[in-house]
Amino acid sequence: MKNIGRDPESLLPLTPAVFHILLALVDGERHGYGIMQEIATRSEGKTRMGPGTLYGSIKRMLGDGLIEESGVRPDPDLDDERRRYYKLTNFGLRVTQAEARRLAQLVNVAHAKHLVFGPEPIGGA
Amino acid sequence: MAVLPSKNVITTSERLYRAMLILYPKPFRQIYTQEMVQTFRDCCREALQDGETWKFIHLWSFVLYDLLITACNERIRSYITLLKRLLGIEKEYTMLDHLINLDFALRTDVGQKRSTNEDNMTSVIPQDPQILAKKGALFVVADGMGGHTKGEVASEMAVSGVSTMYYQQEEEDIPVALIQAIQSANQSICKESEGKSAKDSMGTTCIAAVLRGDTAYIANVGDSRAYIVSQGQVRQISHDHSPVAELLRAGKITKEEARNHPERNVIFRCLGTQSEVEVDVFAEPVQKGDILVLCTDGLSALVEEDELLSIVEQYDPEESVSQLIERANERGGPDNITAVIARIGYAA
Repeated sequence: MKNIGRDPESLLPLTPAVFHILLALVDGERHGYGIMQEIATRSEGKTRMGPGTLYGSIKRMLGDGLIEESGVRPDPDLDDERRRYYKLTNFGLRVTQAEARRLAQLVNVAHAKHLVFGPEPIGGA
Repeated sequence: MAVLPSKNVITTSERLYRAMLILYPKPFRQIYTQEMVQTFRDCCREALQDGETWKFIHLWSFVLYDLLITACNERIRSYITLLKRLLGIEKEYTMLDHLINLDFALRTDVGQKRSTNEDNMTSVIPQDPQILAKKGALFVVADGMGGHTKGEVASEMAVSGVSTMYYQQEEEDIPVALIQAIQSANQSICKESEGKSAKDSMGTTCIAAVLRGDTAYIANVGDSRAYIVSQGQVRQISHDHSPVAELLRAGKITKEEARNHPERNVIFRCLGTQSEVEVDVFAEPVQKGDILVLCTDGLSALVEEDELLSIVEQYDPEESVSQLIERANERGGPDNITAVIARIGYAA
């Protein structure tokens, strides 16, 4: 199968917000609040995303073809109001993988310099 | 700590938040106000469920901060877009955006009865933005026929010939360039089978589609098909060059009769048999969300338009092509099956 598409690397590096949203959508489609909850849970509450950051990022991700709308329907766990769901595109998945690899490489460098599990630096700023 | 009467608090907060969304640029508000208010309400409910006031105050301060920063951000971006438009850069970008957001998949399958696959297909999305803007993206499907493996050769020559010739040409008029590319492929195939016995003669159908800007250009010879799915409707764009399709068009037979007609596989126009070939060209307006489908008769003879519509609307192109091919195989797969699906993406 020939499939000449875009190069995922062309969009790197991603902003933290975009990468968080992509990761939240890897397991399946979610609505906006679902994405927020997933991000908060995964980071043990350390990362929170406001609606402005979320929808600003979503708008640009739709434009870049990283995600797409996958319909409007109520969430069985919330009220019966209808919510818009988003899901990853194939291209979005490829970009997520490329960014994860890029970050892993950086973390490897930090590892080699004993910054990940090394001793805490002593003293002030 | 005092427990807040949560229902009133949520309603008031929501009203306040909605009013503050005025800080965002209008186009942004038009799309996202509803969703943002809804999400904000979900957050309020979560913050209030334990009845702890500090959580709620924390939410509000966090949301306010986020709102101010992102509203500035969106405003600045919208000014930049405006500036680009004034400088005349933006138009070119929107055209490119359209194509860059193309989500597509191609697949071909030998089917259940044939031993070889004589179908061929290709897609070309030029990496160079200037070529992309001028020539667009190209998709070609061909269904070969002939003795031995000749059909395979003919259809391969058609897809590679058309895609190479189309982009090599200086001709800027897309329909003309498409016709010339197909005619040139026809001549190469004719030359290849020249002087060969009837047993070794070969031919192929050819359907080519160019997507550029807001238009899909479709060129056709034979009975492979192009459909466009737009807003819940499916339209067959190409006309089959077969006697049975002519009878159907003239109202002399019904769709059902056409489907079971003994001569349904006969075509009167193809590449590779005559040095001159007449090519049909269609130009169809398309918009974001529309889906282009190219296929060979191994698919269109077995999968009805309604079914095609429901599959491509339900799944992404990758999943759609496998579903369509699976359906044709379930129904006996008497012929090779090929499907190309391209969805015109949502521009920013």
